[in-house]
This record gives sequence, C-alpha cells and structure tokens, in this order.
Amino acid sequence: MKWNSRTRCALVCAFFALLFSVFSYRLIYLQMVRHNYYSELAAEKNIGRTVIRAGRGVIYDAHDEVLAQNVPVATVVADGTLLNHPDLLGPILASALRLPPNEIAAKLSSSRRYIVLQRELPEAEARSLEEILRKNKLRGVWCERDSVRVYPNGALLCHVVGFTNFDRRGIQGVEASMEQYLRGEDGYRYIEHDARGREIVLYRGTERPPRHGYEVHLTIDLHLQTIVEDELDAAMREYRPEKATIILMRPQTGEILAMANRPNFDLNLRSDAKPEQMKNRAIIDMMEPGSTFKIVTAASAINERKVRLDSMIFCENGVWNIGGRPLHDHGHKGYGDLSVQDILVHSSNIGAAKLAILLGEQKFYEYIRRFGFGDRTGIELPGEIGGLVHAPRSWSKISITRIPMGQEVAVTPLQMIVAMATIANGGKFMQPRIVKTIVDDQGKTISELKPALVRQVISPETAAQITLALRGVVSQRGTAAEAAVPGFTISGKTGTAQKAAPGGGYEKDKYVVSFSGFLPSENPAFVALVVLDDAHPKNPALNYGGTVAAPIFARVAEKAARYLDLEPHEETETKDTAGRVALTDAQR
Amino acid sequence: MNRRRRKNLNPIDAPSLARWIVLAAFASATGLSYVYLTVQLHHQGVQKKLLEQELVAVRTQNEDAKAQIATLTSRVALQRRLQEGYLKMIPIAEQSIVRLSIPARSAGEDGVRPVVNERGSQ
Repeated sequence: MKWNSRTRCALVCAFFALLFSVFSYRLIYLQMVRHNYYSELAAEKNIGRTVIRAGRGVIYDAHDEVLAQNVPVATVVADGTLLNHPDLLGPILASALRLPPNEIAAKLSSSRRYIVLQRELPEAEARSLEEILRKNKLRGVWCERDSVRVYPNGALLCHVVGFTNFDRRGIQGVEASMEQYLRGEDGYRYIEHDARGREIVLYRGTERPPRHGYEVHLTIDLHLQTIVEDELDAAMREYRPEKATIILMRPQTGEILAMANRPNFDLNLRSDAKPEQMKNRAIIDMMEPGSTFKIVTAASAINERKVRLDSMIFCENGVWNIGGRPLHDHGHKGYGDLSVQDILVHSSNIGAAKLAILLGEQKFYEYIRRFGFGDRTGIELPGEIGGLVHAPRSWSKISITRIPMGQEVAVTPLQMIVAMATIANGGKFMQPRIVKTIVDDQGKTISELKPALVRQVISPETAAQITLALRGVVSQRGTAAEAAVPGFTISGKTGTAQKAAPGGGYEKDKYVVSFSGFLPSENPAFVALVVLDDAHPKNPALNYGGTVAAPIFARVAEKAARYLDLEPHEETETKDTAGRVALTDAQR
Repeated sequence: MNRRRRKNLNPIDAPSLARWIVLAAFASATGLSYVYLTVQLHHQGVQKKLLEQELVAVRTQNEDAKAQIATLTSRVALQRRLQEGYLKMIPIAEQSIVRLSIPARSAGEDGVRPVVNERGSQ
C-alpha cells in the first residue's frame, strides 16, 4: 500500500500532535495533579527550619555576683567530600586544635559529610582557626557555634547552684529547680538555600526570635558563703567528720544567706565527682537532731501554759526509770530541781521528757508538726525530703521521753534551722527561700519572691522566753560557752546525737554534733546552724555540740557580724576570741 | 533621475516605528529594571546575611569577654590571686571609718509641742 504525500503529511502531523499531547498531559499531571507532592519535595530539599538557640539564663547571688554563666564555644566540623587540600589541612588543624597529626589525618581521610574534629573549642581559638582557613582558602572545615555552662566560683556553693547535663538541662540545684525560667525558648526561621547550601535571604520564610532564659538572683550572699565555706574547710581539717553542713538564714524573711556541705565538688569538673559529693545534705540528709530539738519541747510546753520559764521540774538526780528503761542526764551528778530555763541551759533529757509528758502526746506531736518537722519546707531546691515524724499511734511507751530530746525523729538540717529561726522571729514560721528575683534579659523583673509567713507557731511572748533561756546556753554555766562572740548576745542550743545505724539502733562512738543559734538575741540579724557528722576531735571524750560545733558557730558568727557591720553592744571578755581567731588562722 | 529613484524607495512610517521603538525600549527597560532590582534584592540579602553574621560574631565575642571578666573577677579567682601575692589587701584604719549612727535625742524631743510663729507670739 502506497500512501500519497497528503496522507504521509497527515500521519506525521498526527504523530506530532499525539507526541505533544502526551507531553501536555505529562506537564498537566506534574504541574497540577502532583503539584503539592513536588512542591513539598522541592521544599524539603531547599527549605529548612533553622533553630535559633536561646541563651540559658545567668544565676547571680544577692549582690549580682555571677554564679553560673554561658561561655561561647565552637564545634569544629569537617565535610569529607568538600576538602580541597587535606594534606595542608592536617598540620594546620593539628596545631590549632592541639591534637596529634595522625588522629587528624585519620579523621580527614573519611568521606563522611559530618566529621566532628573537636568539641568545646574556646571562641577565641575558633576565630583564629577560621581566619587561618580563610587565608589559605581551605574548604570543607567550619566551626559551629554553641555554648557551655561555666561556674566561675568552682566548688563554692556547688550544691545550691547545681549543674546542667549535656543537653543543657538543669539536673541539680537551682539549675534544676529554676529550669523553666533559666531555659528560655528556642526561636526558629524558615530559610531557602541554593544548590551550594547558601541561604537565599530574599526567600526567607516565617521566623520567631528566641526568648532567652531569665536571670535568677539568689538570696545567697557570696561573702557570707565564703566565710561559711572557709570555716567548713577548717573544720574538715581539724575534726575530719564524714560530712558537715553549715546554713545561715535571715529569720525575718526566711532568706538563706549561705548554705554549704562537705564533701563537695567542683562544678566545672562535675564528671569527676562521686555521687556522695553531689548531695546537698542540708535538704536531703536525715539526722536525729539530739538536744537542739529541746527548743521545740520547751516552747510547746510554755506556749500551752503548762509551765513558765521559772517553773521547777524535778530531774530525778540524773536517772529516771520510765517505761522499763532508764533515762539518763549527761554528767556524773545529774540534776535535782531545775527551772525550765535551766533544763535548756543544762540540756537535761529528763527535764525535757517531763515537759513533753506534761504536754501530752497528741499536743506535743501537733507542735512538732507546726514547727515544720515531717514536711518539706518548700525551698526552691530539688530533692528536699520531709524528714520522719511518726504519729502518736505509732509511738512506743517510751517515745514521749525520747522524742523531746531529739531521738526517734529524723529531721533535715534545713528543718532544724527553720525551727530555730521561728524562735528568733517571734514564733513566726517563715518559708525558707533561696530565690530572690527572676529578671528577664531586658532587666524587667518577672517575679519577686516576697517573704511568706507560713504560720504563727508560738506566741511572741513564748518565743521571747525561749530566746532568753537560750541565752543562758551560751554562757559560762551553759553547754555552749564556746559559741560566745564578744560584744554580742547569742541565743543557741547544742545537740549531740548518737548516730543512727542503717540497720536500726545506734552506732558506737559515732555522733552527730550540732549547734544552732542566732545573734544578736534581741533583734537577730541571722540564724546559723553547724552540723558535723562523725567528727574526730583530738580528745574523743569531748565530741559534743558544745565543744565541736559551738566554736565553729562562734567563728562564723563573728566574721558574719563583722561583714554585716553589726554594732557590738555588750561588754565581754575578749581573751577567748583572740585565741579562737588565732587558732582558725593557724589551722589554715 | 533623482526624483524617479526617490519615488521607488519604500516610505518609512516614522510615527509607527517610533511607537514600536518606544514600546520596545519601555519593555526592555522594565525587564532590565526587574532584573536589576531582583539582583539588588539578592545583593541586599547577602549584605544582610553578612551583617547578621557580623552581629552574631560581635555578640559572641561580647559574651566571651563577659564570661572571662566574670571568671577573672570571681571570688575564687580573686582569693587565688590574693594567695599568690598578685593582690594585696590593706585594712582600713579605724580613724578612716565613718560610722553613721542615729543621733541621740532628748527624751522630750518626740513629744507634741505647741508651735507659735513669730507673728503669733507678738
């Protein structure tokens, strides 16, 4: 069959018409039917969401001294497929990063697109490396900016400040408890980039700026903290206790002025620290308070008008058999009749037990709880425990004689100082707090934590009477003569508790010694608590709160009073103090 | 002869030609302007990016400097320097300290007293 020219021409036209119809169909299919799919695919390849990192908030002390801050660092990264002069790069990088040349060479020989050469390179070194790379026109290596958390004061205040993990999340201390304020919110920006990966600014998409973390200002005074830490170090050298804690608090507001524990650790070398070093023992360690708990017993009995400060209690001449077990007073002779004041001054166990019996189990328990024992104080620190206070239905026959002298209850050092602060503050239980203000990066105050009165535990009159009685403790006839600070009236109470064994009972010859007091007695500027667990004084027979903890309190109180410019107003002998200061200096 | 040759030449429609030339010039100017402005926008974008990078670098340097200052002036660093002898502390002499205390007032000073001005007393 032969086709004429017209037919052939028609066939060719039909073929082309069909061909272009197919093209047109394909074009419509791609452009309209699969439009969304392909535009998303293109966006995936060229449009990216860049995260704009928010800076973590800085932590300051009460006088704006930096406690935790961010330091810019860089991560040096290489793309194995983009290196133009690997042979030249090797020595340059080895010298800039202070790494062995063979290690650099091994890393650069990889064809991976993301090779981390070094992390946390200081900013100045990163800048100089970039300059060298630019000068030598070397491609394939760049620095990615980041920041690390740095603590300028190292081990100072380590348990309070806490630290962050690799993901920059706070996991201990204020870093953890104030995480929501410190962290901030990352921003983002949608960007389109060209084939070489450079951003096309013209096609920049939506963006949200980051909200940087808020600054957190603490109530801690770093100078007072230094005083406390220095004295703790001196005490660790002198008495070699297993652990030790000192807390300073302002009773009128509940502000914690200083808080230190031993053992401690350097926040910048936290990876080397052992778990035991990281515990903030002021809030997570339970201890039997010992005789310091007698302030609760005496205050409760006086507040309930069962006794007056001058009421006489017969102290059984040192031994009282009750509930089938003898209760002893310290010392060889024991006491006969003692006033309530003298029960505190001489720290009579029998006297305290009789006061609690006068009060009754239920009432005594209520007062223990009102003083805050058995509950968390609510301080802005993570991991706080509430201690252990059993309800009267769980008490044994002799519990009413043991709890008044600080046995069968477990308290935290913070709870103990808060109880003493309640006495110092006219019976007002103030919420202890460590965060003062939260400020945004523009300097605007977001939150100001005001002093919070939790409850009136005892009347101001009762508090005044206990304060007066506790002044007697820090006198020549009391148990804490060594806590005296010349020129100041001090009220305080010693505590010497046998150390509870993990399996029950008590450990032999191991004691937790403590002293808690405030000065000046009339208008206290601060309350301090010193606790030493298993101290080893030169004379083991003198392992008491009055002989071990009280002198430490005196040294701390003296220096703190000087720093706070408290005016001395009482004439006392200065001989002891001079000796004590000299001893402290010699110990260092 | 010259007159005959002139008659044979095609006449040019000058107004029409001018119109087309203007139209073409306008179209090309518009196109070129579009291209120029687009290039300018890209250029501005690149400039903006560079400035942003510079700003980030300056901010980073500032943060770095602030961190260094904080570290070098921290209590621990100063104490170390004090121990090393780089710093010295001189005690303030007692006579150099001015203590501000509340002035002593007589017992009757806070009492309510009648006030009479000069004219009233006359």
